[in-house]
Amino acid sequence: MVTQVEQQATVPTVARSEEDVVLSVNDVSKKFCRDLRKSLFYGVQDIVSDLMGGRRHSETLRSKEFWALQAITFNLHRGEALGLIGANGAGKSTLLRILSGLIKPDKGCVKVRGRLAPLIALGAGFNPILTGRENIYANMSVLGLSTQEIEDRFDDVVDFAEIKEAIDAPVQTYSSGMAARLGFACAIHTEPDILLIDEVLAVGDIRFRAKCTRKLAEIRQKGTSFILVNHKPAAILSICDKAVYLKQGRVLSAGDTNLIVRQYEEDLMLKDVGSVDNQIKLPPKADHESSGIDITHALFRDEWGQAIASIYMGQSVYCCVGLQVRSPFQGIYWKCKISDLSRESETVLDLNSDYDGCLFDVTTGHQEMQVKLPTLGLRPGVYTMDIYVVKKPQHCFDIVKNFKFGVEIPPDSKFLIERNLYYQQRQWSLRSC
Amino acid sequence: MSPEIIYTPDSLLRRPRFLLWTMWHDLLASRELAWRLMVRDIRAQYRQSFFGFAWSFIPPIVMAVGFTLAGNSNVINVGETDIPYPAYVMFSTSLWQTFIDAVTGPVQAVTKAKPMLARVNFPREAIILAKVGEVIFNFGIKLFLIAGIFIWFQIAVPWTIVIAPVALMHLILLGTLFGALLSPLGVLYQDVQRSLTIITGFWLVITPVVYPVPKEGLFGLLVKLNPVTPLLVTTRELATTGVLSEVPGFWVVSAGTFVGLIVVWIVFRIAMPYVVERVSS
Repeated sequence: MVTQVEQQATVPTVARSEEDVVLSVNDVSKKFCRDLRKSLFYGVQDIVSDLMGGRRHSETLRSKEFWALQAITFNLHRGEALGLIGANGAGKSTLLRILSGLIKPDKGCVKVRGRLAPLIALGAGFNPILTGRENIYANMSVLGLSTQEIEDRFDDVVDFAEIKEAIDAPVQTYSSGMAARLGFACAIHTEPDILLIDEVLAVGDIRFRAKCTRKLAEIRQKGTSFILVNHKPAAILSICDKAVYLKQGRVLSAGDTNLIVRQYEEDLMLKDVGSVDNQIKLPPKADHESSGIDITHALFRDEWGQAIASIYMGQSVYCCVGLQVRSPFQGIYWKCKISDLSRESETVLDLNSDYDGCLFDVTTGHQEMQVKLPTLGLRPGVYTMDIYVVKKPQHCFDIVKNFKFGVEIPPDSKFLIERNLYYQQRQWSLRSC
Repeated sequence: MSPEIIYTPDSLLRRPRFLLWTMWHDLLASRELAWRLMVRDIRAQYRQSFFGFAWSFIPPIVMAVGFTLAGNSNVINVGETDIPYPAYVMFSTSLWQTFIDAVTGPVQAVTKAKPMLARVNFPREAIILAKVGEVIFNFGIKLFLIAGIFIWFQIAVPWTIVIAPVALMHLILLGTLFGALLSPLGVLYQDVQRSLTIITGFWLVITPVVYPVPKEGLFGLLVKLNPVTPLLVTTRELATTGVLSEVPGFWVVSAGTFVGLIVVWIVFRIAMPYVVERVSS
């Protein structure tokens, strides 16, 4: 598998010549200003110095400016699909705006060969009062088509957007999905040489999204090159063969999509793992605060009872909760609820000893309750755990919320986080029969 | 193979051949788009309006009624006009309104097109051209009113009326010159649109719209120096008396307008990317 990936990565440089480059980005940098007042003033300043024909000293930063993009270099070949990934604010959209000639680079240069169309501009120029028909003409005209070309494609656009019955109604009466479909249909039917797609594959319902992806594959076969921007790597994995990873305005890495996406995911999901302690110690409670059993600590132990600093996926671990028991109780159970921070704190695991038929009788003093997880199925990432110690039927002694811990990829192993929701223990084999 | 386009940080003025080539190319490319945008704007404008075309007639009529009443009761003394005073005011106001539309049109249109400008790289000239077209269309509507006045007041029309559209075109282009120059700034700063209201108010006062051209005094000098004066007066004279009083001024301002338009066009092109940079997408 690994060798295959590396072969793919080397193909473009060998097989493709200089002739085939449709878009070349060379050492491009762009600066922005965070202060609006200053930003507007700088705009006027730039216009004036440009009109004087002089140098604007665009390579130096003025007060309150920062580099939104720095030294970006890559090439796009005919028929190639390139994915731009990076967190919000990494400079992806800024880069697209420079490529489409909307704004000027402050350093470096961009060379474009052929017609370039942005799929950023869904419904740019739509006027809500006018009908869908009128808006198709206006919108596609803005995207650079002549009236003749629009007339030729008109029926295709309407069919693709699936709004035949509403075509003569004002766009303001459309549902948001219909308007988005119409915008996408107009943009995709401009048939450019290079298509810039900025997180627009999220329009419409699932069926329409699938239709969009199919359409993209179809026009790519005709030789159209793509640049696809997305912060969800799944879309990029399915369409692009090359990817560029932007981080804080710089190209962190570029190359084969699989490798780049893996690196991005690890950065994104595991950036906090190192900073997590994986254990928590609570201060002793005063007598009037206690209701009989207090949680003193929570941590993970290995097979030999040692507290572990790094928790690895697939490892055998014990999740342990320390208790300070003030008087004996019977029929105690505990539960822990684990939420995945990379999935907006969705609960991914809810363990409850009562459901598993385990009730405990505790005696006075220090004790530790343990649950063994023989093969940790949580995928790499940062999680929070809520721990409850309860006596049947409903008396809760103590609660610890948001105990943060991280799960890491074991050294020397590979795991695509985006494509695996959990870790499945497995054994591979080959048998003759 | 399509030609290669290169984006660099350098000023376009350092690449004059490329600049002129793209200007010519974009002008050709923007004709159809300008037409579409114009049709879109005009349709939207009249579709969402109950009175529709009447809005073109109302301002001149209101002005004429107001100033005629004021003149009759001797509140103001405007002196003799070549044609009946109400007709004079209505016709002049229509011309003035057309000029002001040509000034404010581009500023408003570019500001309104912000989201589109921030996302699509279409020939920016199209917005201005569409506005010029819209101004001409709106004047066309006003022509019905003007024809009505001429018939009502039985004003004899000289043969020179045939050339009047040319002079009118110069007037519109002068307005467009100011509008296109201000429009990039208008996107950045709201101050532009606000000050426009004040400036056009004052401008009306020093333009012979509701009074004939004064000959003396500081006021007379101001009116004389006002570039709108020769264009507006010549258009009016061509259409009414056929006797021209501002010929040299007309040619000076017209020549200035055409040279200025080329300069403003270049300024507009160079300024737009910087403006787009400062508005969010």
